[in-house]
Amino acid sequence: MKKMTKSSIALSAVAILGLAGCAEAGSETIVIGSQAYYSNEIVAEAYALVLEDAGFQVERQFSLGQRDVYVPAIVAGEVDLFPEYSGNLLQYFNPEASETSAEDVYNALVAALPAGLTALTLSGASDQDSYNVTKEFATENNLVSIGDLAALANVTLGGPPELTGRPYGPQGLLTTYGVTVAFEATGETTVESLVAGLIDMANVYSADPRIQQLGLVTLKDPQGLFLASNLVPIASGAVNADARALINAISLAMSAEDLVAMNVRSVEEQLSAAVIARDWLVSKGLLN
Amino acid sequence: MLSIAEIWQWLFDVTNWEGRYGLVNLFFEHMTLSFSAILIAALIAVPIGVAIGHLGKGEAVVVAISSISRAIPTMGLLFALVMFMGIEFRGFAVTLALVIIAIPPILAGSYAGIKAIPQTISQAAKAQGMTAQQLIWHVELPLSAASIIGGVRIAYIQVVSTVVLAPLIGLGGLGFGIIQGLALRDFAQVTSSALIIVFITILGDRLIGFAQKLTAVKLAAVEIDR
Amino acid sequence: MEWALKNLELIFDLTMTHLWVSLVPLVIGSVIAIFLARIVPKRFAGSVNGTLGALYAIPSLALFVALPALIGTNYVGPINVVIALSLYVVASMFFSARDAFSQVPAPAIFIARAQGMSPWQRIIHVELPLAIPGLIAGLRVAAASTVSMASIGAVVGVRNLGYLFLDGFQRKIADEIVTGLFAIFVIAIVLDAGLWFLSKVLTPWSKKSVQHA
Repeated sequence: MKKMTKSSIALSAVAILGLAGCAEAGSETIVIGSQAYYSNEIVAEAYALVLEDAGFQVERQFSLGQRDVYVPAIVAGEVDLFPEYSGNLLQYFNPEASETSAEDVYNALVAALPAGLTALTLSGASDQDSYNVTKEFATENNLVSIGDLAALANVTLGGPPELTGRPYGPQGLLTTYGVTVAFEATGETTVESLVAGLIDMANVYSADPRIQQLGLVTLKDPQGLFLASNLVPIASGAVNADARALINAISLAMSAEDLVAMNVRSVEEQLSAAVIARDWLVSKGLLN
Repeated sequence: MLSIAEIWQWLFDVTNWEGRYGLVNLFFEHMTLSFSAILIAALIAVPIGVAIGHLGKGEAVVVAISSISRAIPTMGLLFALVMFMGIEFRGFAVTLALVIIAIPPILAGSYAGIKAIPQTISQAAKAQGMTAQQLIWHVELPLSAASIIGGVRIAYIQVVSTVVLAPLIGLGGLGFGIIQGLALRDFAQVTSSALIIVFITILGDRLIGFAQKLTAVKLAAVEIDR
Repeated sequence: MEWALKNLELIFDLTMTHLWVSLVPLVIGSVIAIFLARIVPKRFAGSVNGTLGALYAIPSLALFVALPALIGTNYVGPINVVIALSLYVVASMFFSARDAFSQVPAPAIFIARAQGMSPWQRIIHVELPLAIPGLIAGLRVAAASTVSMASIGAVVGVRNLGYLFLDGFQRKIADEIVTGLFAIFVIAIVLDAGLWFLSKVLTPWSKKSVQHA
């Protein structure tokens, strides 16, 4: 390799210039993130597909984990676009938030977001935390709303480990409904644990298809322990007006039923987020 | 960045030590899971390893199991077993996964320990009229004890590391602080939990290593070490 | 294997990430380990061994989340995991590398000195080649561990094959978990075979010496 012919020098020069050109385009890359939640990933994938189709450079950084880990990344500009849930995100920035309706929550969120982040159009698709019990348990104990649990002696609540730190967790149950619960950190085994009788009540996302599949009863929340939480894209300044328009179109086209249907496909047909997102986008005419 | 003061504060907060998910309970859960699995694995692996070393047959099996086991992703094994056995049996599934992880190093250590005993010693013992049983119990096991304990030491590290992942399947253990801390963005909790785990693992490793040294016997021909 | 067939693209992407998150630490770690093993004088070997032994004992997830606090890397992302895995490789390989170098026959070193080679020439042209079988044996062990350990990086946001375990468990798709296990296993085997082959290629003299014996 000691002799370099003229042609190889020329080739190297072209390659370097080509790479330089790529590097410049790289600065326009939109980094899209997602939670480690298959449903969230489907929505993020929809954003990615639509932007790529329109000619944008997209980098996927999915399964980033919990909000508390990735929000700093968004604020720092490492991630540009993220599908979020309005109520949960509002509570992240303002734990004392008392708004409950979808619209109030959205307006409060817009006010609470730090500089550099914008909430795009709110979607009709909602996916929020909810407390669920099995049908048998509900019938046996006459349970319709969360408050009805106060009459029971030992209630075990199951959910992700971080539930103890959430405003709607055991502390919120006590202050809002006077319900005392023992907590079991069941993580990804929550629904199974509920069905197996290892826990009495489970924190399940409202768009989880298993609520319908397993006939679970979602306890009503008249006191507004849970804020309304709808899908809302969070974007940084790197996402320009054209990109935002495309993303907003997705938000407007997606309904709660659509979201559940896509979740069902993920769990039952076991398809990947990319396939499900693509199919939905095509069916809505947002993608060719 | 996280300051040492914050970590100190978290560690000295009593509320983090008590309760269902306090450090004391998590520590006991972690150790109970780990030690029961190691014990079961030893009860299986030591006899088999000693037998293979003693008889000189089936050595290929030991080598194969050792090399293959290193490539098993612990998280995958854990999830797969819990899924297949169902939630009601997750304790059993986790223990099974841990036993599967612990057997190879103990098997290798037992086999290597027997193998390292020079023929001259076994022959001398036989010449003295020892039966096979006496040979195993009075000669081979004591001489290979250090190697067996060495295998247990490696198994300890692997098992304790895997139990760190137990919170992902709804069990406790010291990994809980990491998982919950990451979710709540309480990095004092994350780092403190991680440091405690590091401390427990290294302490256990050193203690077992000490036991290993105590039982080590320097044979003329071969040194049993590490 | 139905699930696998339906999700080939995903599996491919995850595999690519898994490969580089495993290979980079192997390369970096083994180079550092070989260097250290050769350079560190005998009297320090004990304490270096002790420190690395302690390092190797640390559970991977704990190290993944402890490093950011110690060295300021991001909690999320591959860089942190790559550094942690490299440390494991160094810890794993230091001992076997030292062993490999000590196995180099003393006569070979004498001859090299007699020929007037400088220390560096000696290392590169004589010691290293003769230590290769031992080094690669150690590397094979480190490779298997690294490939399987890398999957835990998925818990901190590294999108490699470990994702199949987490997502499969979340969606309760057994096939997905099995696919992950299988894929990692295959990578480990291919890597192991590749290293074995590399060892043969780099030591063409080994066959001849056996014949002479």
